[in-house]
Amino acid sequence: MSNHIRSIIFAAVLSIVCGSLLTLASTGLKEYHLKNIALDKQKNILKSVGLIQEDKELSTNSIEELYTNSIRQMWVNFEGKIVPKQKKDTKDLPVYLHVKNGNIQSYIIPVDSRGLWGRISGYLALKKDGVTVSGFTVYNHSETPGLGGEIEKRWFQKNFAGKKILDDRGNFVSVAIAKGRVADKIPESRQKNFVDGISGASLTGKFLSEGLKQTLIEYETLSERFRKMKRK
Amino acid sequence: MKITRNKAFKVFFTPIWESNPVSGQILGICSALAVTVQLKTAIVMSLALTFVLAFSNLSISLMRNLIPRNIRIIVELTVIATLVIFTDQVLKAFLYDISKQLSIFVGLIITNCIIMGRAETYALGNPPFLSLLDGIGNGLGYSQILITVAIMRELLGAGKLFGFQVIPDAFYAIGYKNMGFMVLAPGAFIAIGLIVWLQKTVSKE
Repeated sequence: MSNHIRSIIFAAVLSIVCGSLLTLASTGLKEYHLKNIALDKQKNILKSVGLIQEDKELSTNSIEELYTNSIRQMWVNFEGKIVPKQKKDTKDLPVYLHVKNGNIQSYIIPVDSRGLWGRISGYLALKKDGVTVSGFTVYNHSETPGLGGEIEKRWFQKNFAGKKILDDRGNFVSVAIAKGRVADKIPESRQKNFVDGISGASLTGKFLSEGLKQTLIEYETLSERFRKMKRK
Repeated sequence: MKITRNKAFKVFFTPIWESNPVSGQILGICSALAVTVQLKTAIVMSLALTFVLAFSNLSISLMRNLIPRNIRIIVELTVIATLVIFTDQVLKAFLYDISKQLSIFVGLIITNCIIMGRAETYALGNPPFLSLLDGIGNGLGYSQILITVAIMRELLGAGKLFGFQVIPDAFYAIGYKNMGFMVLAPGAFIAIGLIVWLQKTVSKE
């Protein structure tokens, strides 16, 4: 009996010691973690419009500088109008603008989609024509590494560039992930609306396609405005 | 070459070559496959594992007379898990990009058989200093293999080392191609197989 009690006491003490050590580490390093996450988001926004390349290493300062120089955070109201922070309503959606010499080059939409194991967070950038995808990035997900986890890889993301969210007739169809290779699975007329899928990760693809569509529908009023501006 | 072979010396150097945990005992292969596509991730992984192994051995050895036998595996796991999570937190704070690339493999150090194995077979029965040396020795033995495999894979698979191009463009111009196979997991199997073969042949003599 005393042996059992000894085991229980030992286990309890050990748990308390280990637990408090971890709590200490976690709270002590929290500031760094948050900073890294914020920086990573900025990096992903820049990546989605092609301002930084995947394999280039940039210092923290140059990323921040690039970000403040070329990205503006704005909000979109229910009419699809872009409003600054001061005028934003609670229901307005966030949007990031890529600005060059005072002109909007593209707009970046935050994507928060369902995944197989958890949320997938990333950015989808669209060019100022309101139709063409400029890039897609993922900064947080919990998909299986090697399968669904490939969504964070360059080979998957680069396929988004140049895809369209409208079909041939000009109707909204979103951009979706094919089951397999686009060239094999999708009829030619619709290939511009699909990107190559990941083998072994059909569900991740399905959920992400749905998430992208939902997000794009929410921002459709904004995209419509961009399209009209171009027609004028 | 004559070096005084006292016990500490032996404890430290045997796992680096003679009974190397990866090539001699074929342990820890999973992570050796996963993180060796690039040299940088392999080095960070090696450091993380050596750190965890050294301190898990040390702390389990310090507690070896206190740990109740019937819950010793749970105690070992708790100590190891604490160290691994701590390492993961530090990596996330200071090497965020690399920790993203390593993704779950830092967390999987917990289940790395080398660490449990050393705790169970060595640290539980030996004094702290020797256990620490054993931990570092085994960690370095693992690191050595990981880094060799990573050099082979990154050099042959991508023509790079540490992300820098080392194979000159002139080679590509006359028809040299990167071996895409080395980037995939089977490439690591072959690299490790070659090392095991080399190690067995050399240490027989």
